[in-house]
Amino acid sequence: MKNIELVCKKIFRLAKGVQCEVMADTRDSALTRFADNVISQNVASSAVTYSVRLLDDGRGTKVTFNQADDAYLGHAIKAGLEILKKQKKDPALLPLAKPRPLAAGKNLYFRETAELGPVARAEKVAELARACKKSGQVACGTFENSASELVIANNLGLFARHRETNATYSATVRDRDGSGWAECPAYDVADIPFARLNESARAKAARSRKPREIKPGKYTVVLEPQAAADLLLYLSIYGFGGQMYNDGRSFAAGHLGKRLLSPLLSIEDNALDGVAAGMPFDYEGQPRTKVKLVENGVLKGVVHDRKTARKAKTASTGHALPQPSYMGPIPINLAIKPGQGTLADLIKGTECGILVTQFHYTNILKPQFVEMTGMTRNGTFMVEDGKITFPIKNMRFTQSMVEAFNHIEAVAAETATVSAWGPLTCPAFRLGGFNFSSSTKF
Amino acid sequence: MFKLASKAIEVANKYKVDFGDIRVVEEHTQSISVKDGELSGVTDQVTLGYGVRVLYKGAWGFASGSHMTERAVADTAMKAIEIAKASRRLMAAPVRLAKEPAHVDFWQTPFVKDPFAIPAEQKLAILMKVDAALRKDKKIKVTIAEMHFMREHQWHMTTEGSRIEQVLMSSGAGCTATAVENGQSQTRAYPCTHGGQTLGGGWEVIEALDLPAHADRVREEAVALLSAPTCPAGVKDIIISGNQLALQIHESVGHASELDRVLGYEESYAGSSFATTEKLGKFRYGSPIVNLVADATLPGGLATAGYDDDAVKAQRWHIVKDGVLSGYMTNREFCGRIGKERSWGSCRADGYSNIPITRICNLSLMPGTATMDQLVGEIKDGIIMENNMSWSIDQKRLNFQFGCEIGWLVKNGKKGRMVKNPTYQGITPEFWGSCDAIGDHSQWRLHGVMNCGKGQPGQTATMSHGSSPARFRKVKVGVHG
Repeated sequence: MKNIELVCKKIFRLAKGVQCEVMADTRDSALTRFADNVISQNVASSAVTYSVRLLDDGRGTKVTFNQADDAYLGHAIKAGLEILKKQKKDPALLPLAKPRPLAAGKNLYFRETAELGPVARAEKVAELARACKKSGQVACGTFENSASELVIANNLGLFARHRETNATYSATVRDRDGSGWAECPAYDVADIPFARLNESARAKAARSRKPREIKPGKYTVVLEPQAAADLLLYLSIYGFGGQMYNDGRSFAAGHLGKRLLSPLLSIEDNALDGVAAGMPFDYEGQPRTKVKLVENGVLKGVVHDRKTARKAKTASTGHALPQPSYMGPIPINLAIKPGQGTLADLIKGTECGILVTQFHYTNILKPQFVEMTGMTRNGTFMVEDGKITFPIKNMRFTQSMVEAFNHIEAVAAETATVSAWGPLTCPAFRLGGFNFSSSTKF
Repeated sequence: MFKLASKAIEVANKYKVDFGDIRVVEEHTQSISVKDGELSGVTDQVTLGYGVRVLYKGAWGFASGSHMTERAVADTAMKAIEIAKASRRLMAAPVRLAKEPAHVDFWQTPFVKDPFAIPAEQKLAILMKVDAALRKDKKIKVTIAEMHFMREHQWHMTTEGSRIEQVLMSSGAGCTATAVENGQSQTRAYPCTHGGQTLGGGWEVIEALDLPAHADRVREEAVALLSAPTCPAGVKDIIISGNQLALQIHESVGHASELDRVLGYEESYAGSSFATTEKLGKFRYGSPIVNLVADATLPGGLATAGYDDDAVKAQRWHIVKDGVLSGYMTNREFCGRIGKERSWGSCRADGYSNIPITRICNLSLMPGTATMDQLVGEIKDGIIMENNMSWSIDQKRLNFQFGCEIGWLVKNGKKGRMVKNPTYQGITPEFWGSCDAIGDHSQWRLHGVMNCGKGQPGQTATMSHGSSPARFRKVKVGVHG
């Protein structure tokens, strides 16, 4: 840490006379990957990256490098200043942000997670691989851990620092023509329920053997939390980012205060505390604020960085991505409000529908309606008269998410966390009239 | 740099590894973009570091670092060995690599003008001119004009005696206009979406693209799409432009033929493949006119190099020959599983900090004999689709759906009116089996893919796909939610 501060000071000295912002990202990460019941890749990486923005009277440039000896720093900043001089003036370019008080944020750093080594990871994945081998199943997946620190500092006095650890265990199990999957990301490796995840993936793989083909069409769907989270992430990013909103390309544009979604849906972006906590400041070093995006189906707010806030004549909510950014600000610490009952209750209440474990290769078709396509994966089942009756071959959906989440029939109480841009916590959902446009061969 | 790299080889030899290598990589990238009339940024990035890979008693370990001292390199090599020891706790048969002669060589991407020597103001002047032309219509709400340049200097040493220095260079540019009206938005791009067109080479690539000459058309077509009818739904004959076909090749043939996927080693993330090894040499992948060739020697290709990151010399080979599955993308670890004694050489790493993995090489559809008039003239009821907007394919690379930027109806052999939001859906071998005409050599172009994601930790690779427009019969189109 002292080293990072020292490098920042050196950079500020070299950039004397212009505004200067340093983003220093220090990251130690490791990942053990397994397939076919053996470890197939095992890697570790240590890296520090410095991204330096230089601004002067409407001109701006950015240099990024990973070497910080005096000669390298001198060369990089000098090159940046040379480019800066040749820039055209941009009247819309904002000066750097001044320091603002920052909340302490939740502790997201856990020593045991940071220090987890290759032997410990190998032992953990071996538990699943050995069990699968015994039962004729095939295990694949990953177990990864990292420790990172992000510093945003500028020569106007702003200095923001955040550190966190992350661990993710992901298990995919193949059982002849069946497959199952379970995954859990956590800041603290002690929060990962390895045995439960292994059991869930193995049971689902066994249950999804000999899938039958059903006709595409509109079905009631029960979406397990990870499947629902995939769709709600797109809905949130394409609906509630300040730039899309300002450009009129979001379905929320001109509709704040109106109910366009089901009364059973509430979404909040909250990096500060609660279930989806994360870094308490954004990539301009501005404090993150809690933003209600949807409350009981009513569109409540969008997230802004300083640039989109100025255009919208409002204040930044602290959602800037690293600058400059094409995308503009996006919500990345999303908490979807849970409902009542269990996943089993959602299934029990389904007369005829499809249970989806996970979606694969989801993508946007029409951003303004959040119309998407994607495939089901790793366990798709027919539900009839409140019971899972048989596994089905994977299906492709083509569906507007604005429409889909206006037809929520029920929301479960238990949530799962997925790791997307940031943590996203989400319960299981039952939606009516979800459009499956085709099926595949397995 | 080889002196520094040799520390890792010394450590690897001391511990008697089966195989070890170190790749020192210095990467310089520059991006310049103008968005909505504002200079969105000039970004210059230089990274330098090394990745050490060891195969120790049949198990893999990999570690990377960026401290450029002999001590740090040796420590990183030791870390890779410790990781390999941990990998031995869960292994079956020891990994054996296919043989490859030791190479001592220097190779670099041919270029005419060094793009990093072109002044920033010259690049900006072009982008500002393009952006101004794109914004001439009030319905255009979002514009982007951008350029990207990359130079990657690699020093690769192996315990087998290879000592390879390579300098790879690429240059690219593109522009995009998005028209918005009544809650609807339509985008048009030149020469293609997703950051424009990038090729191996220097500033001459940008000059050849001539962005300013295309800006007016891009703007006009984006606005025209707002009032165009939606692509009709049904089963129709389609002509797919070269820039869309590039992604079709990438997703439904390129990834499907990566041998690590085929063998199940990507199952947990990107998925596996329907093109399993027992099908090699027998399976009808497409119609007899379909020939798809992988080529690491292709001029201008983004995957073109003297050697891959397994230190295997660049080669050219068929993936599909006369419609039949004929090869795979391979590395030295897995090629023996299909009886090959030598890898085809398609193993690459993203930068210094990632382990080399099997990757799609440059993969191209060989040209046919049809002119555009012939492709269109033999369609009674169809659609021409151009430029990719969205893509999705299942985890075995069978069921796919693509959305394109723009389409034109074809009726009784004549190109008709523009349609918006064209989409098509299919099953890979059925789709390629329906290909009954491919455009001739004069229409064949190379298209760069800049954002190919694979592996865990995630890696990005670039490659090129050459193609002419091609015709496909009885395809499901106009799929909407």
